[in-house]
Formats: sequence, C-alpha cells, structure tokens
Amino acid sequence: MEVQVMEDILGSNDKQAAENKKIFDKYGILALNLIGSPGAGKTSLLEKTIGSLKGCMRLAVIEGDLFTSKDADRIADKDIPVIQINTSGGCHLDAMMVQKVLNKLDLANLDLIIIENVGNLVCPAEFNIGEDAKAVVLSITEGDDKPLKYPLIFKEAAVAVLNKIDILPFTNFDMANAKHDMNCLNPGISIIEASCRTGDGLETWCNWLKNTVQIKKERMKKTNG
Amino acid sequence: MCSTCGCTGHGQGTQIQFFVTGYDEKNSKEVEEKLLGLPGVLYVHIHTHDGETTINYNPAKTRLSELTAVFEQRGLQAAI
Repeated sequence: MEVQVMEDILGSNDKQAAENKKIFDKYGILALNLIGSPGAGKTSLLEKTIGSLKGCMRLAVIEGDLFTSKDADRIADKDIPVIQINTSGGCHLDAMMVQKVLNKLDLANLDLIIIENVGNLVCPAEFNIGEDAKAVVLSITEGDDKPLKYPLIFKEAAVAVLNKIDILPFTNFDMANAKHDMNCLNPGISIIEASCRTGDGLETWCNWLKNTVQIKKERMKKTNG
Repeated sequence: MCSTCGCTGHGQGTQIQFFVTGYDEKNSKEVEEKLLGLPGVLYVHIHTHDGETTINYNPAKTRLSELTAVFEQRGLQAAI
C-alpha cells in the first residue's frame, strides 16, 4: 500500500516533468538541472558562467534552496532573471515547484535556464524536473570516493564539473580514480576539471554549455518547423 | 534512496546476488566495471575468492539477461 503511494507521487512528478519539458522544447530553451553537495561550488560556477555567457546568450536561473534567498541575491547581482524557490526543508526540487515559477520568466526570450537544485547528492538525482540534462558539481574537498558512493547522479549526469582543482595539491584526492569511477558508471559522461577561483576549466565548461544549447536549438528548429 | 526524508525514486532498484565460478583478479575487475556501465546499475560488489557478486540495479533500465550476459561473455558461470 505504501509503495503504491510512492509510485503515484513519482508518476505525478514524471507527468509534470514531461509537461515542463514540452514548455522548454516549445521555446527551444535548454534546461539544465545543476546538482551537487552543499559547498561544492554550484553558485560560484553559476556566477562565473553568467559572467562568460551573458553577452552571447540569454539565460535565466532558478535557485532551489531549503531557506533564504542568499544564492538568488548573488545571481541577481549579475543582472539576469533569477527566481528563488524555497523548499522549506525539502531536500530536492520537484517538477511541480519548477512549473509554478516558469510563468515568471520571459520564456520567449531565453536560450538557457539553469536550475540550481538543493545542495544534496542524493534526492535531486531521483526527481526529473523536465530538464534536458543534469550537470553535477563535485568539489575536490569532497573526496574521490563520491562517484561510487552516490552513483545515481553520476549515472544520470551528462557532465561532471570537478571544482576547486586549485587546491588539488593540498589534498589526497585521486583525480585518476575519480575519473575512472565516473567513466565506469557513465561511459558517456563529459568530465571537466575546473576552479571557480582561478578560472581554470571554465572556458571548457562554457563551451560545453554553448554547444549543448546550440544542439537543442537546432533539434527544436527541425521538430517545431 | 533517502530514508531520512522519506522521498524515494527510480534509483532505488533491486538487489540481486549471483554466485559466479571462474573469477580471477583480472576478470572480476572487468566484470565489475562492465556491470557498472550498464544503465540503472548503481552498485556492484564482487568477492573474487568465493564468487559472491552483489548488484543493485533498476530492472526498468537493464534486464536480468543483460546482467548475466556480462558473465557469459567471459565464460563465467553464474547462479542466483
């Protein structure tokens, strides 16, 4: 009986996620679900990304947090559309939460929406919110054992950003091991070493985003006519 | 997955245990990596010495026959 309730919740989420996806597709917007632990550097990566991409594409951010608008305030300083969702203790965003805020964005004038999920490597990986792709941010300080300990997100993500590589020499993080495990779990995953502090790898990340946005636009042009 | 908050999802999956004969250090590592690369397979643990092979996977994404094929392709015999 209890299992049936769970399945129903997930079924509802998947239905709403499919509706969200239709909206993103209609407008040719790439929706990226950005996932990572608290402190991995998701918001820092967003700040740097906005700085690089603002001039060449139209982007917006949806911020998911348990409480406060601290992250949204940081993004708002970059002068792009940003919406904060507070989950009031909920450990992940779901498709309905995202759907409720989409009408606050000028969708006809966007190329990319980055949805920063609640800081958590577990639950956000389980809930589709209608995104085209998931991106996971793993910081060096979290340890190279995380891909095998939290496999679902590494299995689901199209790209993994290994952040804070500037402090790599001061840790025992085994880069080769982390990459090996990620490639085992998800042979197609793109892995980008980066540092939001020094800027290393950010060009590669932004190029991945630009390329993925372009692929989506071309695909939707063909589909939508 | 998350027992503290009560949310759960597609990644929960099923755990299955095989007893495999014919492992050595090399092919058990190959099997582990090959299984982990299959869709929906989240965890693989192999005891090379006695062949105990534990797999957590999502049956909606990978069929049982796809798991057993990994053993068969290497000439290994697996029993549940």
